[in-house]
Amino acid sequence: MVAQQTGAQPPEPSAGRPPAAPDGPGAGWGPGAFADWLTARLAAFLQRPAGSIDPRTPFAEYGLDSVAALSLYGDIEEEFALYLEPTVAWDHPSVEALARHLADEYARRGPGAAHGPAEV
Amino acid sequence: MLTRTGQDTAATGAAGPEAEERAVQRRIADLERRFGDPSDPDNPLGLAALLAADERGELLAEAEEMLTGFGLNAEFVPRALGGRLERVDTLGRVLRTVFRRDASLGLGYGVTSFLAAVAVWAAGTPEQRRRVADLLLGGGRLAIAYHELAHGNDFVRNEFRATPLADGSFVLDGAKQVINNVVRAEALVLFSRTSQEPGSRSHSVLLVEKDRLPDGGRRHLRYLPRYATVGVRGCQNAGVEFSGCPVGADALVGGPGDGVELALRSFQITRSVVPSMILGGGDTALRTAVGFALDRRLYNRSVLDIPHARATLVGAFVDLLVSDCLALAATRAVHLLPDQTSVYAAAVKYLLPKLLTETTYDLSIVLGANFYVRGGEYGAFQKHVRDLPMISLGHAGTAACQATIIPQLPRLARTAWDGGQPAPEALFRVRDPLPPLDPSLLGLVATGDGLACSLAGAADALAGRHAARAGEYAEALGALAGEMAAELRSLRDECAAMPARDRTVLANPRAYAIADRYALLLAAAACLGVWCGQEGDAPGAGGPSGFLASPVWPALALTRLARRLGRPLPKLPDGWEEHLLDEVLARFHEGRSYDLYDTPLAG
Repeated sequence: MVAQQTGAQPPEPSAGRPPAAPDGPGAGWGPGAFADWLTARLAAFLQRPAGSIDPRTPFAEYGLDSVAALSLYGDIEEEFALYLEPTVAWDHPSVEALARHLADEYARRGPGAAHGPAEV
Repeated sequence: MLTRTGQDTAATGAAGPEAEERAVQRRIADLERRFGDPSDPDNPLGLAALLAADERGELLAEAEEMLTGFGLNAEFVPRALGGRLERVDTLGRVLRTVFRRDASLGLGYGVTSFLAAVAVWAAGTPEQRRRVADLLLGGGRLAIAYHELAHGNDFVRNEFRATPLADGSFVLDGAKQVINNVVRAEALVLFSRTSQEPGSRSHSVLLVEKDRLPDGGRRHLRYLPRYATVGVRGCQNAGVEFSGCPVGADALVGGPGDGVELALRSFQITRSVVPSMILGGGDTALRTAVGFALDRRLYNRSVLDIPHARATLVGAFVDLLVSDCLALAATRAVHLLPDQTSVYAAAVKYLLPKLLTETTYDLSIVLGANFYVRGGEYGAFQKHVRDLPMISLGHAGTAACQATIIPQLPRLARTAWDGGQPAPEALFRVRDPLPPLDPSLLGLVATGDGLACSLAGAADALAGRHAARAGEYAEALGALAGEMAAELRSLRDECAAMPARDRTVLANPRAYAIADRYALLLAAAACLGVWCGQEGDAPGAGGPSGFLASPVWPALALTRLARRLGRPLPKLPDGWEEHLLDEVLARFHEGRSYDLYDTPLAG
């Protein structure tokens, strides 16, 4: 996905695809790496520099509406093959909270291990 | 047999599709008969009386009494709870009878009760469901208070508070404005902030029954002045303000913080069905214009002899059929494709009022100066013009619907549109039975798109299986279906390139144009699906030789949609306009509805 970035240089979202092999699921993908990816995602959504996004500020305060937040789960699914509930960004409503949750899920079951829509 | 209260027509489910269809037809015929001939000036429930009530800013009391006698509220209550609600498509179909006469009555007598009740059917406790069912079946009302004037459809920002106490009970504080029936409703369904955290888990839905408030609410509840509105003038929209009002823990519908999720699920049902209902108003607008064209002589000829007038009437009829095809697919999707309904409900709520508004405008040109007359035999038209935008806005504005569609399109484009499962034929079967309604199956995000996927194979199906029935229209229909499939491919590429920002409410206008084209494609898919489904004998339908089975209307429907999409238009065989005009006139003279159901009307 091509995002029109402005200002600072968020990492290209798809550049951060975690290695499913050879290191195996979860290798090197802790909360920090997920936070970087999410920050870049949010920066693209909101058209603002990644550096201006505070990891603890709720998504909603940045103007990410409920329906747009729902669409984040599809991005997560495509990037990490993690099949989560559409409401995952409602229940973990900041970069920090969601990154922690993603790292836990990723470590726990690895990509593609969970049940969910499998058309990706 | 026409029944006195309509109650005994409910028990039909097990008796098979034909019996189920006959029961619905009987119910509609019963309601038509009770309303009587709208054009009869002596009919106390006729157009003259309804227009006079509208001028007074009231709902016609006699009509409300009649609807209570008919038991209209039972249409909103699930059959398991003693009502007649089984199918969302049927609910829209029955309510057209009311909206055909008076949108204020449709909205003000009952629909807002349904909009409120849906949350309780979807997530209420057995006790809450029982109480709401009893209230409605007893002729009572529910008011729905989701939105606040300052926040519009951005209701996540709502400030009305229900502060949770340690024992699970709540204290209500704040105001809600422009709530239909808020004064006379016995109970309110309130969308309330239950946490100060920002985001989508901070609101909850509460069922507040006024007679269970301390003091009957006298100390803690007051009403704010009524709002005068341009359309649906008879509706009683006012505000309500609570101050320190205690309500019990048992008022909570669903879990704490479930409000947004519950709203998004409930909206899928209400956004699907309300557009279907308002097609009744479109019927009246076209019927009024046809009556005018037949009566009026200009330049020493009937208005009907003027080519532009003929083309407008035929075009309006086709637009009503297009609208009904989309409404049919959306309402049946609630039962058949609940994991996809999220986008379809938003698309129909977006497109159908828009099509109706444009059709109405075109018809107004036929009426000429009579368009401005508020009384008399053409007064219904002017009232429809005023009412339509009000109903369209109610509970989900155009922009809100587009904002539901747009964020979902990139993913659908990538994962669903290529080689996805096409919609089942049952989605398009006008009168066929449906699996039970289960709101818990409705997905917050669409994970497939059967309606769009059905476009991919449509041209082949037209060239093969349906070629004989398409007859001399086969070439045009095939070309049009091909154009639609090509448009979907082009849309897919544009969605893939959509910047992430366009998935938020800050979307570029271009994204809104994409949502518009997508909705038109869904309408095209629905028209093709309905026509292809006419090869068998649907219960109660005219059979394969009926009007819907002929290839003329889908050819025109797709032509009109292709024109809106800016696609090339094929040449149609001669005679299509006469064929459609004959149908328009026959349905006028024989009193049959301008929709897919071809329902006999009173008067």
